[in-house]
This record gives sequence, structure tokens and C-alpha cells, in this order.
Amino acid sequence: MAHIPDGVLSAPVLIGGAVLSIGLLTIALRRLDDERLPAAAVLSAAFFVSSLVTIPIGPTSVHLLLNGLMGLLLGWTAIPALFVALLLQAAFFGYGGILVLGVNTLNMALPALLCAVLFTPWLRRIAPAQCFWIGAAAGLFGVLFTGGLVALSLSLSGEAFHTAAEVLFASYLPLALVEALMTGTVLTFLQRVSPELLNSLVVLRD
Amino acid sequence: MINCSSKLTLLLICVLNSAPTLAHRLQVFASAEGANISGSAYFAGGAKASGVRIEIQNAVGQLLAELITAADGSFNYSTQSPIDHLIIADSGDGHRAQWRITAAELGGNSLPNASTASPSVSTAPANAVDSATLAAIELAVARQVRPLREELQAAENHANFRDILGGIGYIVGVTGILLWWRQRHNSPRS
Repeated sequence: MAHIPDGVLSAPVLIGGAVLSIGLLTIALRRLDDERLPAAAVLSAAFFVSSLVTIPIGPTSVHLLLNGLMGLLLGWTAIPALFVALLLQAAFFGYGGILVLGVNTLNMALPALLCAVLFTPWLRRIAPAQCFWIGAAAGLFGVLFTGGLVALSLSLSGEAFHTAAEVLFASYLPLALVEALMTGTVLTFLQRVSPELLNSLVVLRD
Repeated sequence: MINCSSKLTLLLICVLNSAPTLAHRLQVFASAEGANISGSAYFAGGAKASGVRIEIQNAVGQLLAELITAADGSFNYSTQSPIDHLIIADSGDGHRAQWRITAAELGGNSLPNASTASPSVSTAPANAVDSATLAAIELAVARQVRPLREELQAAENHANFRDILGGIGYIVGVTGILLWWRQRHNSPRS
């Protein structure tokens, strides 16, 4: 769903998305830190594969986006990780168009980045037992914000899309809840298994 | 007020209706049987796409017809002339797919085309076969071949294990290159 195919969006939206994505990618590559690259590769691969694993929720089936988790753990490095995975999904599975890659990257990366800014500082302040809630908040926020951006890019491309965009946004709600549960669980797991990993990642952000 | 509530109802109907169609890649398949185009819209993975808008265009992009798919995702359109047809499915929520039916595929049933086709396709003994029989044969073959073509397209859309491994390989490779490059970059300083 977060993969918009070619031929749907209008040219100004495509160009705007591409320009903004290139800008974000440039900044992200400048700030790249080597310590996070292996983690970025693992999460990028997970993101790449997760689009194939559709989870039936009621009558619908959706797939995890993982962008909240990626933002939380990777910070700026999440942007190239998402971009590479989206490029490969377009090339191998035909999910999302090549021309739309800029918009799709932006729709996924912007929420990830905001998750990093909003929630990562909390990880240090909060008690380890409450990691779950930070993760859940990041997962929820990541999906809902992505849904909002997809709806926005659709409605910016034509008035006809407006109602459809609303429908799309409504369909993101169940996914957001699952994503929140999943991100929270992963974070709790990381905290329990190797808290130093989580702490080092957090410290590295500054 | 009325507008608001009707909008809400529409939203609700759309949510309920489009529920099974919320998988993520729309596909459209169509084939010509005589002068008739029949096809179906579905989502990668097999779920049928019902209530999807189908636009039929000619080669230059002129709109010929607008259809809505049935509950099982199928649609039918009888062509006016044997020209290239472009079939575009659009579910309205950012999913879009297209399929091209060439003039040659539709040519079978149209009389001028069939009469020109018969001498070139068949050699001397087959000249006895009249164009009506030829059209009937083409129709029958098209009907027989259709499930095969559908299966072929489904197989093509199916993400296979090699694709997944290839993609993961690329991610590992890109990361390796980045790390290597940055190490080279940093080593003189340290």
C-alpha cells in the first residue's frame, strides 16, 4: 500500500518527492556512521522481505512497514536503508514504480526520521521496563504518518483521489496497531538480550 | 450535514467493499476471444479485485469505454474495430495496472482481416477453409490458451526465492561497499 506504482501521481508531486528525497539522502549519507551500517543492512533486508509477508487482519491483508523501528534504531541511517530496500523491491517484485521512488522513499523515510527525533531521546530517560511503550508509539506513529503521506500524495495529484485517500488512511489503522505491538516487542527483546546494543545506538545519535 | 453523513456512509461502504482488495499490487489480465475482450483484475497473490474501474483506451489514449469489475474481478467488452486496445485498471487508492490487446489478437473475427490472413497463414490445401471456420478455430484456440496465459502471468508475478535472496545479497553488498569505502576514507587520518 505504501508502494505507489507509476502513472498514478502527477508530475509536480513526483518531482517534488524526488527532490526532497535526494536532499534527505544527501544529508543522511553525510551523517552516516559506520557503527550503524551493519544494523542498517539487517533492518533494510528485513524491510525488503517483510513486504512479501502479508498478514491477514480481518478481511484485509497488510504487510509490516517497519519504518518506525528503523527510525528508532538507525536515526539518519534509516533513509539510505529504506531507499535501497525500496529500490530493490521495485526492481525485483514490481512493488512501486521507479519514477515514484522519490515519493515512496519520502513517504517512508520522513516518518522514520520523525520517530528518531521524537522517541529516541526517550529511550535514555525512561526505565528499561517501559521500552515496549516507546517502541509501540514509534510503530504506531510510523504507520499512521506514512498513511497520511500516501493519502496526501494521492490527493495532491487529483481531486478524484480525495475520497480514496480517506479510505486508504482508514485501512492503515489496523496495521498501525499490529506494527505498534511488533515494534514494542522487538524493542523489549533487544533491551532484554543486549541492552548495551540499544544504549550504544542511542548514544551514537548525538 | 447531509453531505457529511453521505460522505461518511460512502467511506464506510468503501471500507467494507474494498476490504479484500487491500492487498498491495493490482494486476489486470485480458484476452481477446473474437471481437470480445474479457479479462479480470486481481491483486498479486490471487485476491480478486471487485469494483475496480476499468478504462478501455485506443492506441492514442482516447477513452473508448469505462467499466466496473464484477464481484469476481471480471469484465467484458465487445470491441468496435480490430485496433490496439489498452486496458487500464485503477482501484482509486493508488493502485493501477494495464494490459495491451493488440490488433492482431482481435483480428480473428473481423471479416476483412480474416480474409487477408487466410492466404498467408494457410497454404494451398487450406484455401478451401472459409473465413467463418477460420474465425471459429481462432476463437476456440483463444479460449483454450487463455488459462495457460493466465497461469503464465501469475507465475511471472510470483516473487520467487531467487528474487528474495538476490535482493538481500544486494543489500549486503551495498553495505560492504559503503563500509570498505569509508574505511579507506578514514584510515589515513587514524
